[in-house]
Amino acid sequence: MNAEFLALAQMAVGGGLMGMAYALVAYGFQLTYTAGKAVNFGQGELVMLGAFIGLSLTGIGLPYWAAVPGAMVAGAALGWFVERSAVRLALQQRNEGWILLTIIVGLFGVSAAENIWGRDDKPFPAPWPEGTLEFFGISVTWPELIIAAGALGIMTLVELAKRYTMPGIAVQAVSADPDSAELCGIRSKSAISLSWAVSGAAAAFAGTIIAPVTTVGPTMAAALTLKAFSVAVVAGLDSGFGLVLAGIALGSAENLSGFLLGSGWREAPGLILLILALALRPQGVFGKKIIRKV
Amino acid sequence: MRIRFNLGLREKTAERIIRLTLFSCLAALPMLWHGEYALGLLTLMAVYGVLLIGLDATVGYLGQINLAQAALFGLGAYGAALAIQAEVPLPLALLVGIAAALIPGAALTLPALRLEGPQFALSTLSFATLTVIFLNESESITNGALGLSIIRPSLFNIVLDSTRFYWFCLMILFITWWASQLLLRSRFGLAIEALRDSPTATDALGIGALRHKALAFAWGSALAGLAGALHAINFGYLQPAAFGYDLMVILLLGVVFGGRRNQWGAFAGAAVVTMLPNLLSNRTLFSLLVTLGCLLAIASPIRTLLSRTRPSFRQTAPVAAMATALALALFASNVEEWRKGIFALFLFAAVVGLPDGIAGAVTAILRKLIHFSPDPLPVATGGMQPVKSFAGLALHASNLQKSFGGVKAVDNVTLKIGKGETHGLIGPNGSGKTTLVNLISGLYKSDSGSVEIFGVRPIPGSLMSAFSAGSARTFQNLQSFTGLTALESIMVCQQDGGISEAMGWLHTVGLEPKARLLCSEMSYGDLRFLEIARALATRPYVLMLDEPAAGMSKPDIIRLVDLVTSIKRAGITILLIEHHQDVVAELCDRVSVMDGGRLIAQGTPDQVRRDPKVIEAYLGSDDTTTQANNDSGAQPC
Repeated sequence: MNAEFLALAQMAVGGGLMGMAYALVAYGFQLTYTAGKAVNFGQGELVMLGAFIGLSLTGIGLPYWAAVPGAMVAGAALGWFVERSAVRLALQQRNEGWILLTIIVGLFGVSAAENIWGRDDKPFPAPWPEGTLEFFGISVTWPELIIAAGALGIMTLVELAKRYTMPGIAVQAVSADPDSAELCGIRSKSAISLSWAVSGAAAAFAGTIIAPVTTVGPTMAAALTLKAFSVAVVAGLDSGFGLVLAGIALGSAENLSGFLLGSGWREAPGLILLILALALRPQGVFGKKIIRKV
Repeated sequence: MRIRFNLGLREKTAERIIRLTLFSCLAALPMLWHGEYALGLLTLMAVYGVLLIGLDATVGYLGQINLAQAALFGLGAYGAALAIQAEVPLPLALLVGIAAALIPGAALTLPALRLEGPQFALSTLSFATLTVIFLNESESITNGALGLSIIRPSLFNIVLDSTRFYWFCLMILFITWWASQLLLRSRFGLAIEALRDSPTATDALGIGALRHKALAFAWGSALAGLAGALHAINFGYLQPAAFGYDLMVILLLGVVFGGRRNQWGAFAGAAVVTMLPNLLSNRTLFSLLVTLGCLLAIASPIRTLLSRTRPSFRQTAPVAAMATALALALFASNVEEWRKGIFALFLFAAVVGLPDGIAGAVTAILRKLIHFSPDPLPVATGGMQPVKSFAGLALHASNLQKSFGGVKAVDNVTLKIGKGETHGLIGPNGSGKTTLVNLISGLYKSDSGSVEIFGVRPIPGSLMSAFSAGSARTFQNLQSFTGLTALESIMVCQQDGGISEAMGWLHTVGLEPKARLLCSEMSYGDLRFLEIARALATRPYVLMLDEPAAGMSKPDIIRLVDLVTSIKRAGITILLIEHHQDVVAELCDRVSVMDGGRLIAQGTPDQVRRDPKVIEAYLGSDDTTTQANNDSGAQPC
């Protein structure tokens, strides 16, 4: 194998593993979208806040293993708060005010983070082993592997919970038809709140596994939201594990374009992909087509 | 007793007088009071005014969250700056600025056109991010992150000092305001609002959803470009980062806070976003204002509490937001550091508590205080006219098929309707009637088979094309234009003819006295009649009525039968889906019966009523009577 090809493959694999993190954030969109037909335009802010809270928890002396669940609990609370403050009213009135309101809540999150933790990027210490693993001449670092494994692990767990626990089945019933679910004694509002809380926890978890690689700072939020949107829209907002494929593809494309076109253009392919996907197949590559009813 | 002044003025006239006064005062300001800094702020306010009036076209009138306006503003600024560097005269540089925003904006509408809601917001958001990347990375053109400097050009040899430039911007704001008002109150503006409320009905009535969406977006983009050009000339220095996400949020704050669907709102918003950063630097004034905001926010839930009911989220949430802002104003060590957060809190309170913004709230108060003379209603003219005669079939659907997943909703249906015939389409619930009408009217694309309307084959799956062939329809689930009045709903559907013809159509369906009511304020039965009037106003040859009597009271049904009879007399061919047996029997020449997606019987109402297959479809055969009963509560015909 020649060196140039190997370098590109290295880029693609590294990007693909990072892409799993985007898939995890996108999974948060999917959770709330299937339950209540709304997504959090401030999801990246939840990731950022989750990472900062994790950082503070390690700062007061907790080990990483305890800081991660702590951040997830805080993330769940934030997710619930976003739903309660920004989404519920707009959904009741069947308008799209939630788009604006979730952007607004996210903006407040950024401002709070800037004032509490400062504007600068900070390193996030994690107890991962040093050094790299090598497969077929391509080296992979431990944090990258942890991102991929952690993202897949959480997504699998939530999917299993959705299928085999009562609250999970209730959420599925509400996503199929909230009114019928209410008639069967399920509280639709609680089910939707639950899905937002889980989505927030997933975002916070994503924050704590991304941050050791990327560092953590208030500016990480906006870019992450858009990347996760690209993944979710390309895969389809109701497609389950299609996200993983889209995430890997986006991560690789990003790394390759950064390498080939210059680092400023890193984010361009994802955005172009997003616009194209929206134009050509708004329901996503793996999504179902929506039928208009009159 | 509440005092109400009667000035004997019409609202429009009053608005015009106040607007002219405002602009004269603004123009006189620099002569009374000198100050470079204040003048700079006023100029910025005028520029933002133009920008926000443009943003209001999409966010307010079109009702879509547009996150690309800041980026388009940046493109306009860079376009104009580069033109000025190339020593192009100023008016031409403004045009270059407009083009620099309009062309990418128009390109964006191509993918964004079919999108709505979150998808529309997303596509504009990614466009905005791409634009900032492009401005940053194309260093050879834009000088990248280092920024671009220009020297203010003169206008036809008049040196533009800051006062003159302020007047220039003010003049452009005035023209923009006037042009926007003209444009958005015309049929074009009504069409945009109709499209916001129901894109399906907009297409089905031949108004054209995509066309108007594109034009609204183009208008907004052009104004963004114009504002950008003025901004470039005003500041003389541009940096890509200035046109990013933060500016976008501030612009949204302006439009929402000021008030959507209203040029006054855009102007008020421009004033707020220009002044707010300066307010933050004066702590006492800022605390005072936030306290005032808090008191205003708390007034409404307290009133609710006094009447011993629990205040709603809509009332309490703004209080929480304003209280947080007050806490920040009083206790934060540096308020300016919290700029974004304070913006967010204000915006939150405004979106939740003041859905119509400052302008909306002030208008509501003024309307309570002052009695304006209502606009006179025009005399009704026009109305139903006989349609031209035509040889052959009015409607010919042959072998239509449509499945949804495994369900064959319409299975090999052939339907021939002669000219001037009133054809009933009946069948139990879920038998495929509405799907058949959706196929004929072009809402759905058939899997196979064809439709011919008066000898023309419309493009399958195109509402507009079926409309052009001469059909119009109403909807089983109302598709009313909730933001328009009854009269406007008709006017937007007319291909030609003015306000008095529109009154004529309202007269035809008996809604003349309710002409100025908003659709959202009208009763269900009235809206059903309005839908028929809307369809008639397009002067169709074939009219498809999807369960017009559903949910109507008995007297309304009698009115409906009279109305359909008069439509029939005018020679319009009618396809009528209806569950009321008496209505079908009285109106229809022939009836087709559907069950399970198939046509099971056809004939005169009398023949069909006696057909054993029809009786079976409705009531089930003898041994399955019990389970078929829950199929439909309707009577067999």
